[in-house]
Amino acid sequence: MPRLDSQDWQAFALTLQLAGVSTVLLLGFGPPLAWWLATTASRWRKLVGALVAMPLVLPPTVLGFYLLSWMGPQGFIGKLTAALDMAALPFSFRGLVLASMLYSLPFVVQPLQNAFEAIGKRPLEAAASLRAGPLDRFFSIAVPLAWPGFVSAAILGFAHTVGEFGVALMVGGNIPGQTRVASMAIYDRVEAGQMSQAHVLSLLLVVFSFAALLAMSYLRPRNRGDA
Amino acid sequence: MSAMRVMRRKIWLLASLALVALALCSWLQQAQQLHQPQNQERLLVASAADFRPALDELRDDFQRRRPDVAVDVVYGASGKLSSQIEQGAPFDIFFSADSDYPQRLFDHGHAGGQPVTYAIGRLAIWSTSHDVGHVDIADLAKPEFGRIAIANPQHAPYGKRAEQALRAAGVWEQVQQRLVFGDNVTHAAQFVRSGNADIGIIATSFTSDGSTWKGSHAEVPPSLHEPLRQSFVLTRTGADKAIAREFAAHVQGEAARAILQRHGFGLPETAKEP
Amino acid sequence: MHEIGLEAGLRFTRGHLPIAFEARLPARGITALFGASGAGKSSCLRVIAGLDRDAQGTLRFGTEVWQDSPHGVFVPTHRRRVGLVQQEPALFDHLSVLGNLDYGFRRAGRPVHLQREALIDAFGLGGLLQRRPATLSGGERQRVAIVRALLSDPALLLFDEPLSALDDRARSELLGVLERWHATLELPAIWVSHAIDEVARLADRVILLDAGKIIAQGSLQDTLTRLDLPPALQEAAGAVIEGVVASIDAQAHLAELHCDGGTLWLPNDGARIGARLRTRIAARDVSLHLAPATHSSALNQWRCTILAIGEASHPAHCMVQLRAGENRLLARITRRSRQTLGLQPGMTIWAQVKAVALGG
Repeated sequence: MPRLDSQDWQAFALTLQLAGVSTVLLLGFGPPLAWWLATTASRWRKLVGALVAMPLVLPPTVLGFYLLSWMGPQGFIGKLTAALDMAALPFSFRGLVLASMLYSLPFVVQPLQNAFEAIGKRPLEAAASLRAGPLDRFFSIAVPLAWPGFVSAAILGFAHTVGEFGVALMVGGNIPGQTRVASMAIYDRVEAGQMSQAHVLSLLLVVFSFAALLAMSYLRPRNRGDA
Repeated sequence: MSAMRVMRRKIWLLASLALVALALCSWLQQAQQLHQPQNQERLLVASAADFRPALDELRDDFQRRRPDVAVDVVYGASGKLSSQIEQGAPFDIFFSADSDYPQRLFDHGHAGGQPVTYAIGRLAIWSTSHDVGHVDIADLAKPEFGRIAIANPQHAPYGKRAEQALRAAGVWEQVQQRLVFGDNVTHAAQFVRSGNADIGIIATSFTSDGSTWKGSHAEVPPSLHEPLRQSFVLTRTGADKAIAREFAAHVQGEAARAILQRHGFGLPETAKEP
Repeated sequence: MHEIGLEAGLRFTRGHLPIAFEARLPARGITALFGASGAGKSSCLRVIAGLDRDAQGTLRFGTEVWQDSPHGVFVPTHRRRVGLVQQEPALFDHLSVLGNLDYGFRRAGRPVHLQREALIDAFGLGGLLQRRPATLSGGERQRVAIVRALLSDPALLLFDEPLSALDDRARSELLGVLERWHATLELPAIWVSHAIDEVARLADRVILLDAGKIIAQGSLQDTLTRLDLPPALQEAAGAVIEGVVASIDAQAHLAELHCDGGTLWLPNDGARIGARLRTRIAARDVSLHLAPATHSSALNQWRCTILAIGEASHPAHCMVQLRAGENRLLARITRRSRQTLGLQPGMTIWAQVKAVALGG
């Protein structure tokens, strides 16, 4: 049984941290965006919806390339971080988190948007007539009724980030111990012809992710009205 | 117990598990970092993927002489690595599969010195299913050789040379239908190794590492294509590091040249200061 | 007390139908908004509730200004104290019945004056509190929706065809409950319906809506016995008579109602002596006689004076408007009969109503 070296374990830990942090952050930013998309009558709706879906369309390496330029010293994000006296984002874990959030954005926003749309107007109108303001309606009606959407969003977002490769490679630089995630570690082994280590690492990743996703799916109620 | 309370219990449980997992991961990370002695110097090298077998040996050789230095190598596509360096990637030295990328980096002010050729790449015809020991490149037009794998001529230096060789031999048109393109020469080699392509035109350096790459091969005469001068360049970060200069010098030294030759590379003229 | 409750002057469009809603409602009592399907009734209700924002004009309730388009004022729904009950009860599936009922109650600050327990009992919800909405019948869900709206301490109640989606049994049950509740109601309410029997039993006033325009508004009695109702509403035309139960014939299962202008016998539906009851007498159920009839199966005969005679939707018919005491009646008869009897305004005439046509 081939031994995994310390760098492999680091890559593994890094992947889990990246997927965990990105998913949690997306579950914070995603719902307001999904809610806006589901309920607004603004003429920007379709445009924003298409933008959200863009990471689905672009090849990951291309997306990574754009993100790298924007976060780099000449890009608008890079200039912003410099102005705020923050460390540069490319080739750092924080840069990876930002890239992962954008990469997995549609996987989190779309299930949420669908779930919010499925609620329909009527429960919300009823809640308004019962003295519930917009924020109140969101938390007391929309979120509980859209709960399966939240679970799907978490599962998809997490899984998608675990498997992330092209974007993370471009933006992270594959630096061992800092931005080399499990997918890159596996790829490196394969490229080097070290198949047995690649197998072990892959198996580890799959088993752990499977466990995580299974755990999350327990949060999804079987059908409306009983959990 | 009401359904909502069951759900809340589950959420709390899952959240606690997640926190524990994250904590474990951080601990794992920190434990790894503690393993490395604090005063160890670190060198981060970026290299074209096809240089791996040779560079691994060069690195190991260097580490034996300088055990106090940790050398990490990131392998990738030359173009991608070059873009990343332009965006400030923290590599100290960059080994490209050609000379264009290092030259461009130098011209745009991202290099710490002039590009230096470290090896001359050579092409070989390679197969694990056919015996190609005495096959000429013109023979590839024969239909018995099914799919031919080469690196993508659009952006991979070895791919460009493969196309040039095929054109020079006058068989480019005939083999068009049977070509499969790998993203880089390593991919092309994998097509051959996995049996998805019968034949590949790949880097000679691959064929010489007998343990991983079986099969038979035949060298392609260098006259059929532009020379593949593989260059390296110190980055701006690397130029300030004495250890990077040392590594650069090592790669051009006698021991290194012997290693390179063994891996099937041609050798540049004698050492130059990067 | 007849202070003004709702004062509305709103104009908007739904589909291709321009709708103009100009009305003043009293501060108490149920006002029915009656009209054929597609007349725009539900749209008016939504605009009053503030759910649709595209209406232009002004909307005042008591001293509050809910909408004033020229000055850019628009109070959103959650700040108008309206209680809304819709045709399909939009109960919150993720909450129990108790959770639903308390949703508005909590947000209103749990006002004691609403007598929460009494209300829950009055509508028969005591045994349903822990159930989930998905497990309730249509009638039960609608009752929950009504009490939920009441518990949010509204100042104005809006009912949008709440009984249309129910089966007959649930409907008549709920109608009975609502009738009893109506007696204790201190708030103004608007009841939208296209079913005239609901209007007859529950409303104090009625607004008639036809193709987006208000064609009549006033007391129930006056409005429904008008001769100039459009064809779409003619079937609804008739008298709504209110009286006191004077006696009960238990064997025959009949109740005797003393009204101003006459006595009515109708099938007894469990009424008690002394109770106030309403009954509707459709124009088609009234026949006219020059002299009181003796050998007729019709139990009820009233002596009336003819007020006016008008057209009916079918050219063979005509509508005769009658007065009996404080009440008005409508009779729909053939023109031929009118000629034969020589009916003229001012004449005394006897109106016969079959008891079977009344009640339930």
